[in-house]
Amino acid sequence: MRRLGLTILYICLGLVAVFQIFPIIWLFTFSLKTNQEIFAGNPFALPLDPKWENYLKVFEGGIGTYFWNSIWITVVATVLTVLIASMATFAITRMRWKLSGLVLGIIMMGLMIPIHSALIPLYNMFLNVNLIDNPLSIVITYVTYNLPITVMILYGFYTTIPREIEEAAIIDGSSIHRMFFSIILPISMPIMSTTVIINMIYNWNEFVFVNTFISSDKYKTLTVGIQNFIGQYMTDWGAIGATLVISVLPIIIAFLFFSNKIMEGITASAVKG
Amino acid sequence: MNIMNKVMSNKWIIFLYTLPAILLIAVLILIPLFLSGYFGLMKWDGIGAMEFIGLDNYIVALQDAKFWQSAKHSFLLAIFSGLSLIGYLAVALILASKLKGTNLLRKIYLIPMLLSSVAIAQLWIKVYNPSNGMLNSILMSLGVDNPPAWLADNDLVLFAIFVPIIWQYAGFYILIYYAALKNIPESLIEAAKIDGASPLQIAMKIKIPLVMNVFKVTIVLSFVGSLKYFDLIYVMTGGGPNGASEVMASYMYKLAFSSYDFGYGSAIGFLLLIITLIVTIVVRRATANNEEIQY
Amino acid sequence: MNFKRAFTFPAMLLVLALFLAACSGDDGGEAEATSSSDAKTVKFMHLWPEGSSAQHHRVVNEIIADFEAEHEDIKIELEVLSNEQYKDKITVLSTSDELPDVGMTWAAGYMEPFVNGNKFAALDDVVEGELADDFVAGTLEAFTINDSVHGLPLELNISTIFYNKQIFDEYGLEEPETLDELNEIVATLNENGVNPIALGNRDAWTGSMWYMYLADRIAGDKDALTQAINREISFEDPALVKAAEEIQNLVDADSFISGFNGLADEEAKSMFMSEQAAMYLIATWDLPNFTTNEDVPQEFRDSVGYFKFPTVDGSGTTDSYVGGPGVGLFVAENSDVKEEAKTFASYFVQQWGEKAVTDVGVIPATKVDTDALDLPQMYVDVLDDLNAATNITLYADVQMSASAAQVHLDMIQALFGGEVTPEDFAKTHEETLSQE
Repeated sequence: MRRLGLTILYICLGLVAVFQIFPIIWLFTFSLKTNQEIFAGNPFALPLDPKWENYLKVFEGGIGTYFWNSIWITVVATVLTVLIASMATFAITRMRWKLSGLVLGIIMMGLMIPIHSALIPLYNMFLNVNLIDNPLSIVITYVTYNLPITVMILYGFYTTIPREIEEAAIIDGSSIHRMFFSIILPISMPIMSTTVIINMIYNWNEFVFVNTFISSDKYKTLTVGIQNFIGQYMTDWGAIGATLVISVLPIIIAFLFFSNKIMEGITASAVKG
Repeated sequence: MNIMNKVMSNKWIIFLYTLPAILLIAVLILIPLFLSGYFGLMKWDGIGAMEFIGLDNYIVALQDAKFWQSAKHSFLLAIFSGLSLIGYLAVALILASKLKGTNLLRKIYLIPMLLSSVAIAQLWIKVYNPSNGMLNSILMSLGVDNPPAWLADNDLVLFAIFVPIIWQYAGFYILIYYAALKNIPESLIEAAKIDGASPLQIAMKIKIPLVMNVFKVTIVLSFVGSLKYFDLIYVMTGGGPNGASEVMASYMYKLAFSSYDFGYGSAIGFLLLIITLIVTIVVRRATANNEEIQY
Repeated sequence: MNFKRAFTFPAMLLVLALFLAACSGDDGGEAEATSSSDAKTVKFMHLWPEGSSAQHHRVVNEIIADFEAEHEDIKIELEVLSNEQYKDKITVLSTSDELPDVGMTWAAGYMEPFVNGNKFAALDDVVEGELADDFVAGTLEAFTINDSVHGLPLELNISTIFYNKQIFDEYGLEEPETLDELNEIVATLNENGVNPIALGNRDAWTGSMWYMYLADRIAGDKDALTQAINREISFEDPALVKAAEEIQNLVDADSFISGFNGLADEEAKSMFMSEQAAMYLIATWDLPNFTTNEDVPQEFRDSVGYFKFPTVDGSGTTDSYVGGPGVGLFVAENSDVKEEAKTFASYFVQQWGEKAVTDVGVIPATKVDTDALDLPQMYVDVLDDLNAATNITLYADVQMSASAAQVHLDMIQALFGGEVTPEDFAKTHEETLSQE
């Protein structure tokens, strides 16, 4: 009976897994097809004569700079967001003060703004402080616009940290900074890794802000590079596919790395816990 | 305990720890937010001079059938996203269990989340293509003669486009639930097992109550995210045909960026915010409880 | 624990370092740009990215290089965006009065708010000076607002129905001259399981071209649609209602590929180009895809022909077209280097003409002596048609103001989708247009 249940469960899980892994495989075959195959052929078919030159075309388009920009902007923005959000969440949930609810409310309001409402005011502000066409404007915007969601995710966890841990630390004579950096942050490693993953994905794939605030090619990111192949007269679907494959690879690698971090963090906190 | 209180209510530390977040949000989110409310009071094409017209835009919006239609669509999306959370929690419970292979499965399950909206849109446009799309190919090989044109059918398009949107966020919520479940101390579960509790009982009585705080947060996130959702709608249908898949954010975008009715667009954007705010407060009230759970 | 702490600090240092690197890196860049002698920099934005419009992109770069060589004191700073992104960015830039010195604009309704908002400079001096007599008749008018030219047209397009000769031959079909003949072709193709007409009506301007043509044919000599938009006649004119009826007849006869209301124009185009549909109504900007574009299989290019939009019940002439100038160049009113910008725009237009014909394969808005050039036959035919044209009706969504155009496009989708009756279609238009 139990055996049968398990088998059925595994079959279901396996089916879902096929469904979830399919996009990547599809994207890869898509990137090797001609427009003809994409529109006339069987959508599940493999490319007859793989068009590797789609990739060549993308690299010739000068994707290198975009790639590097995407990486450093993503890394810097993610680290800053998670750090600033952790500090704020710590103060809101663990410290004792009257206005913590209000501050949380203000941060939550940040979740609600539609980005297209913010675009024109933001552009104007960056223009006034001379940050247009400066990657700093992108980093600052990413950090700010991801703060609310990061705080919200961290919030659920910080409320569950046992008071005893803090008490023990303080009785040991530890300062708050030390407690935060050497106790709270390490035990929240699993959730921090989760927010790191989420932030990375958001920053890596973001598009509207870069398009609006950046005009020099040397500061543009990979997502803008993709648009290069969408045209007024002719769209090169295969090349778009190739750009999408190239742009998803780094994020998969980073994801696998941080995904393991979630586990490591858990074992570390379990030892302590 | 006294020391504890004193240390943990150190004003200087509180100020220092919250300042960066508050400052960034105040300047880069709250100011634009108030500005969009302010632009909503103007007749402005975004290009020429502004003209103050008071609450006219807001009054027009409240009588604008297209706005209410898009609001209805946004709310439907919010409800479906909210319901899907239960499914994600169930998946996360399985993935966080000690079953063999869950480590690999978890990684696979989260893959779609890594893709950009552009990639997801390309995929689903090909899924839904009426003549040689994947879905209709399958349907036709199963003997369905006239499979629907998913994105062109006014009655179907909204639900057809909900599927990729909800699917797109599956990984996000599963990841959060997974981390929350893994955060539950092993000792609690072991103790229950020794008492003879079944896996189902452990899930219902221990695991789910312990991740309830996180679950409530995700309800808010999914509601807010749905109400202001934009990406795939814009890329896949542009809100069409004739508004059948229009949501609040895409309507706002159309007004401000395609019709050059920036004042009115801003007013819609501001209304979107107010609606979201009210919904959030309602959801938080509805899911509030007095006790704070601690392990 | 110590290990963890050891990790935290370097991480923070790294962040700080990157931050500083980013700031200083940028400062360096700017200093470099400003210090490069006293050359004036003209910012130029266009919408032909290398990836999708390689030929356009290359020609633009050539023109810029030539210009910089001839004008050593002027440097061109380039930004290239794809269509949608270009439009969005122009909107944001204009709210902050930060338009590029030279950029691209569409005619009539699109540019009107920019002109009225005093963002685009008047270019009458340029047009009357070195560019006098260069433009094809009628193209400048579309860029003239308040009696003053605010854009220099680059392209001129007419739309025709392109068709796949192989498919037509296979079923013994011939180019139709009347709507009835077109309907028969559609019926034959449908019987044989071939998609008759590729249409991507998600963007709705494609469907609008079908509607405009039918309106033009049915109304005969009078340009009913333009008159209705200019408020000379009502949109509820019988011809305009009848045209809407004919659209629904076409739809009911399964003339268009299934699901057209959910397909983008690029998808429909790709279906036509992969021989999944027999016909496709599009403007001549797509000529390169059917003639010179090496990325498209030779076999397909050889099998493409075109015919003029048929007449309806003996009404109308096939020499009347839907079309008009495409993009044009504007010069920003508040540009710091307005004179240099005008010089560049004027130079660009002069150079663009011949290169557009020979290297890009599109029809420029400036006169070009094509006799001396070696051109594909289809191209020569189109140019002949253009010379013989009795009327060119500018795209409805370009003629109308932006917000009326939005209503028009929504209504076109509804009409094709069978959601509104032809009468309501006309009525909604009338209401919208009369409110302006």
